[in-house]
Amino acid sequence: MKALELVRISYTYPGGTKALDSVSFSVEEGESVAILGSNGAGKSTLLDLLLGWNKARGILLFGKDLADYGRKELGRNLALVPQSEHYNFSFTLLEYTLFGRSPYLSQMGTPTEEDAAIAVEALGEVGLEAYQDRPITSLSGGEHQLLLLARAIAQQSRILLLDEPTSALDPANRMRVISILKNLFEKGKTLLFTTHDANLAYELATHVAMLKKGRLLCYGTKEETVTSEMLTTLYETPLKVGSIEGRTLIY
Amino acid sequence: MSANRSYAAEQKRRLIRLSLLLLATIALASLFLFAGRYPEPGFTFPSDWTDPMVSTIVFQVRLPRILLALLAGAMLSASGFTFQMLFSNPLVEPGFLGVSQGSAFGAALMIVLGTGSSALVQASATLFGLTALLASHLLAKRFRFGGALLRLVLSGIAVSAIYTSALGVVKLVAEPTRDLQDITFWMMGGLWNATWNQIFSILSIVVACLVILFSYRWKLNLLSLQEKTSFSVGLNPKRDRLILLVVATVGTTLTISITGLIGWVGLITPHLGRKLFGSDSSYSFPASMILGALFLLLCDTIGRTLLPTEIPIGLLTSFLGAIIFIVILSLKHQEGKA
Repeated sequence: MKALELVRISYTYPGGTKALDSVSFSVEEGESVAILGSNGAGKSTLLDLLLGWNKARGILLFGKDLADYGRKELGRNLALVPQSEHYNFSFTLLEYTLFGRSPYLSQMGTPTEEDAAIAVEALGEVGLEAYQDRPITSLSGGEHQLLLLARAIAQQSRILLLDEPTSALDPANRMRVISILKNLFEKGKTLLFTTHDANLAYELATHVAMLKKGRLLCYGTKEETVTSEMLTTLYETPLKVGSIEGRTLIY
Repeated sequence: MSANRSYAAEQKRRLIRLSLLLLATIALASLFLFAGRYPEPGFTFPSDWTDPMVSTIVFQVRLPRILLALLAGAMLSASGFTFQMLFSNPLVEPGFLGVSQGSAFGAALMIVLGTGSSALVQASATLFGLTALLASHLLAKRFRFGGALLRLVLSGIAVSAIYTSALGVVKLVAEPTRDLQDITFWMMGGLWNATWNQIFSILSIVVACLVILFSYRWKLNLLSLQEKTSFSVGLNPKRDRLILLVVATVGTTLTISITGLIGWVGLITPHLGRKLFGSDSSYSFPASMILGALFLLLCDTIGRTLLPTEIPIGLLTSFLGAIIFIVILSLKHQEGKA
């Protein structure tokens, strides 16, 4: 089933900057898609459109126009892992993870024991369940990223949107996040993430959409798209795709 | 699942503590009916209920005053809490967007125009409080500097300043023996002139505001996060913010149109609520409402019983509020225990 279908998506910011120009591709449920491009290529703009945060015509989510989704219904289908989160109140990890249960609650509702069980399980998936009663202000940068992931996992959406999921992490935490995401992918979750890191794209994605100056340079399986020629065109810098100890590496 | 049970147990513990706090507040409020300076200073349980003076003082003077203290305290605290969550800033209160200054100007203007109608003073205070909110909001949209939050803060400062100077002008032209005194008393805040009529005139709307804010108690958590995050979990943050801002402002301005400006309640009791009940606003919000009611009740009771002359409530809320503020901030290191 097609999870997402983008038909000639364009977007111009109110200030007049054209950020996306006629971008089309579609994503099958269960695929993992990297939106690859340099800074300012339109990756975040595309993510905002998919989230419904900014509006554009021509996006179908599971066959239905994105604009026809109710707010909560959309929250049950799409979860966002932002690059960072700011908070001035010291919620506990469990309280913060429970925020992901919001699309399932009524106007007056507060989380139930069942919601708490789901949140604890999500914390378990990222390895933070032992810290569930600690305040979020006590977390390190890496743990912080894991918590954002746990909140999105607790949302139990069919698609996970991730904005530069590893760009601020040290190698150990980067590998941890990648392994959690691979695990989610293997369980059938559709992943869509922005990145400027071709190595991450190759490691985690089944498909790659390359964006350059708001236009889609190419879309296809990673084997088709992640080539020395394409990457060199994308980044306007000589790049090679090679292999070390059986692993593909872009350098 | 053990973690699951511990969550349920913690919720139950908080609910029990919340109920105890509510009961204690009700008990104290009932007790303070008998505190005052008649028949003699201190606590006196009247032996002679047939004394018309006793029943007048208890039911026509003290009871409305106590109820007003509870209502105003709960409303000011609920508004303060709401503003703090919406602006993701624990140092914010309704005065922040020029609301208090706008109301003060509105009230003063109507006093000077000399209509003599307290309903008109209330209406004018509410109207100008809302105007201040609207002005801050519109001005923030026009600013070309900083993020949305910073723009709102800056426009709030500007709007506050404009209303403060306008208030100065009104005070200059006010008739000094009567109107100026009224304005000055209003600026200091007080519950001494509480009557049943006044309470009934604001009761339904203020209670409605409290109920609406209470219904958002869990969502307030989410609205303190980045707008994009609260949007992604199914909220409509722009609409929710607008509703909450307007409701909190209407509740506050209506309240202070009767009580005058009472500072610190909206700032301090939400802090206390979070300190005692944790950051999750599903419990700290109702806790703050009750604590606000309790705090104002205590201040007002001290103010009307301690000295032969009444101590203005604004003085007491500032004094006690500042002390509590200092204590809470000094205990900051405990936050890690959550």
